[in-house]
Amino acid sequence: MYTYNKFGSRNSSSSNSNSTKSSTLQSVQSNHRIEKSSGKNTTQVELDYCNNYVHSGIPSTKYIRNVSNPVEGYPKLAKLHQLKRQQIKKHALKPYGYRVSTDRIVPTLNKWIEVYGLKFDVIMIGALIENQFILPILNSIPIYKLCSKPGFLFIWSTTQKIQELTKLLNNDNFNKKFRRSEELIFLPIDRNSPYYPGDYGSGDLESLPLFERQQWHCWMCITGTVRRSTDNHLIHCNVDTDLQIETPTSKKNANAVPEAIYRVAENFSNSNRRLHLIPSKLGYDTPIKLRPGWVIMGPDVLINNFDPVTYNEELYSKSMIKYKQTGTGGQASGGYNNVTTQFLVPQTTEIEDLRPKSPTIPAK
Amino acid sequence: MYTLDKFKKFVSFLLEYDTSLVLSPINGELWVVKALFVEHYRDEKTTIPYLETMSDFLDFLQQFNGISGNSLKFSHDLHNFDFQLPNLNFPKLVWINIGGLLLLQHRFEGGSPFPKLSTNKPKQDLFELLERPKINMKQLYSHEILLERNFGIQPGLLDALIRRPTARTVLSKQRAQVKTKKIPFFTVCNDSNHNHILASVGLNKKEYGQYGDNSFDKQTIPESIVHQRIANSKGMLSEEIYKCSFEKIHFLPIINNHTDLNLGDCSYLDTCHKMKTCRYLHYFTLNPNSKPKGGSEPEEYSEYTIGDCFSESFREILAPQWINCDIRYLPFSILGKFAAIISDPAWDIHMSLPYGTCKDDELLSLPMSELQDEGIIMLWVTGRSIEIGRRALLKWGYRISDEMIWVKLNQLKRTIVTGRTGHWLNHSKEHLLVGLKGNPIWLNRKIDTDVVVSGTRETSRKPDEFYDIVERLVGVHSRKLEIFGRDHNTRPGWLTIGNQLQGVSLCEPEVKRKYESYIQSTNKSN
Repeated sequence: MYTYNKFGSRNSSSSNSNSTKSSTLQSVQSNHRIEKSSGKNTTQVELDYCNNYVHSGIPSTKYIRNVSNPVEGYPKLAKLHQLKRQQIKKHALKPYGYRVSTDRIVPTLNKWIEVYGLKFDVIMIGALIENQFILPILNSIPIYKLCSKPGFLFIWSTTQKIQELTKLLNNDNFNKKFRRSEELIFLPIDRNSPYYPGDYGSGDLESLPLFERQQWHCWMCITGTVRRSTDNHLIHCNVDTDLQIETPTSKKNANAVPEAIYRVAENFSNSNRRLHLIPSKLGYDTPIKLRPGWVIMGPDVLINNFDPVTYNEELYSKSMIKYKQTGTGGQASGGYNNVTTQFLVPQTTEIEDLRPKSPTIPAK
Repeated sequence: MYTLDKFKKFVSFLLEYDTSLVLSPINGELWVVKALFVEHYRDEKTTIPYLETMSDFLDFLQQFNGISGNSLKFSHDLHNFDFQLPNLNFPKLVWINIGGLLLLQHRFEGGSPFPKLSTNKPKQDLFELLERPKINMKQLYSHEILLERNFGIQPGLLDALIRRPTARTVLSKQRAQVKTKKIPFFTVCNDSNHNHILASVGLNKKEYGQYGDNSFDKQTIPESIVHQRIANSKGMLSEEIYKCSFEKIHFLPIINNHTDLNLGDCSYLDTCHKMKTCRYLHYFTLNPNSKPKGGSEPEEYSEYTIGDCFSESFREILAPQWINCDIRYLPFSILGKFAAIISDPAWDIHMSLPYGTCKDDELLSLPMSELQDEGIIMLWVTGRSIEIGRRALLKWGYRISDEMIWVKLNQLKRTIVTGRTGHWLNHSKEHLLVGLKGNPIWLNRKIDTDVVVSGTRETSRKPDEFYDIVERLVGVHSRKLEIFGRDHNTRPGWLTIGNQLQGVSLCEPEVKRKYESYIQSTNKSN
């Protein structure tokens, strides 16, 4: 037996509690969007970008109003971004590239670690795209020796690669050492963007995506201990957001990893040693541009100018050096302490005043 | 002496014949060159009277070399050569400096003797210089060259073929377009001038203070009144601005006595709790008051019916159904099978939220496998729970097919960039994992994108757009379930379960019967 009418159907005029339900029923698809906001006489019109996409084919990201200037309307934040950019630029090492074939990556890194004692604070891996079979290489990267503590790892990939990467991040090499802390998303502006990832699966029906794909993913992983409230010499939190949208620029500025992602990494970590690993060829549509402050390593890198010795020299001259005691013996025993050297981008008081801070929790 | 225009002809003659004069069969023989030159201009009235004899021609050539900077090179010097004598070593033309001739021609045409330095040519990017060798890099991708050479397949063609949407996708898209009711869509006016002028005539005039007391909240003035004021001041406005106020959305800056324009916008905008004292800038949303065109009724059916149910054209959409229950104890078998599930679990993320949270283990151990044989599940996840969510989907027998995001917009249709919304970075989006079970061939894939842009509402309330997306994906008549739903989530065609719903409402007879017998059995056992 149907009890349609009991709970507010077309012809019911039931009690108060049900009247809200009946309105939902009558308004099958559209009216739920036009809601009477309480306390106001105005009708709030919500824009339905999905509906507009179905009818016009214009992706909804086109209508977001702060794409070209994300900090529009926030002068303090804009000033902070500008100051940080200047400070990072001032202390950035010159752009370094290191061309190395995919199979030589791991031996090279091992050599850097063992012979030159190189370590990096920010390591970016990617772009990882479909048709790359580099999981064994990623698996054998000596990431825990290469990355300082605390250190930050950014992995940049398309949606297709996520499954594979989840496996990677769960293996011993990564998982024991790195905590996945944020998942950044980068959106290309439209289909014609050089960053448009393409939305074809690997052929069979099962792996076909359900939706048109527009996203790039970037995991941000942290190793070691950093505290948001006290380690402001190491990190600045909440400067950027976990969503970056491509700013409409000319095509020639396309890069393997968009500038916005580099910037998030630079704004977040105040450390000066940054490595970008592009483990396989990306095709000639995706040039790899060098970036000041970064060592970029991969088979497609055009300029091959990296030399560990000069790099170290420049590092000492450009960075603020801080020695941190990480005692194995501990202070209590008074024994021999390990000293780690931190290479930092010094911060100004103006930046310190402007940066978002953790709320101070009143003492209990 | 010959006049310049005689040389002009010779230059264009030389440029036309080019190096063929020095090659076989002419081999630079001067008498052939002379004959050719005379022959070349024979049609014109001015035959070349000045080149009667060979010695004339040699003389001509010497003078020509004089003005052209020795553009012609001969096997022997032309001077003191006695052509009368039979001589095997008659000089031959061996080389023509084409560049020099072109320069000469350029000068004949009145060009300047110095090459022009174009001053306003944009500076070349160093990077562009680096780009160029990439053409040669094609060789690295030898398969493309192979395909092009052996099969005549242009590079990029295969890629374009693979990327091309299938007929099914195209038809499904068309159907979705036909069947989805068009909701009026307005754009936002980005001209700050418009917004300021409209704000000053519609909102911030002193005499409007009488509408309430001084601390009156301008945010809550009815839009119709603002439109009325703008209409009253029509004479003061340019036609363009007045018209624009009907067509586009405007955000009028609200200027109160306490507003400090140097501070910029309020992070919370229209959701600010301290509107009456907040010194940051707030805005009044002025929607266009013209009756929107469009909004046409959707057509009931389309000719393309793959994926539809057979009774698509006449079937009515089920009324909203819901059950208030503790999800941990409800036997899922009474609910039947579903084509799509949406779930927004209250993940325990160590934050004080205005609702009870759920333990991870409890969630993972839900008998979700009973709810679907094949179909999709959408699971909202945040921060730490992204990974648990991925694990949960795999455990429940799904494979993760897509990851959707909801880009949160504020009142001004901008992404949220301030306000410490996340731990390390600010959060301007939320994640939705999409799991797929079985091989549902009836899905209408690729109609929507995996990025949904929508405004924020109350805490944790998700955009309704996702219901529309699911309905387009699985069809409006498929059975759809929402787990952990609240009152505002109930919706025609959907069954909602959760512990914050009001009572029970069921209309599918079988579900109703099973639910009643379940209630009876629990009452008995009590």
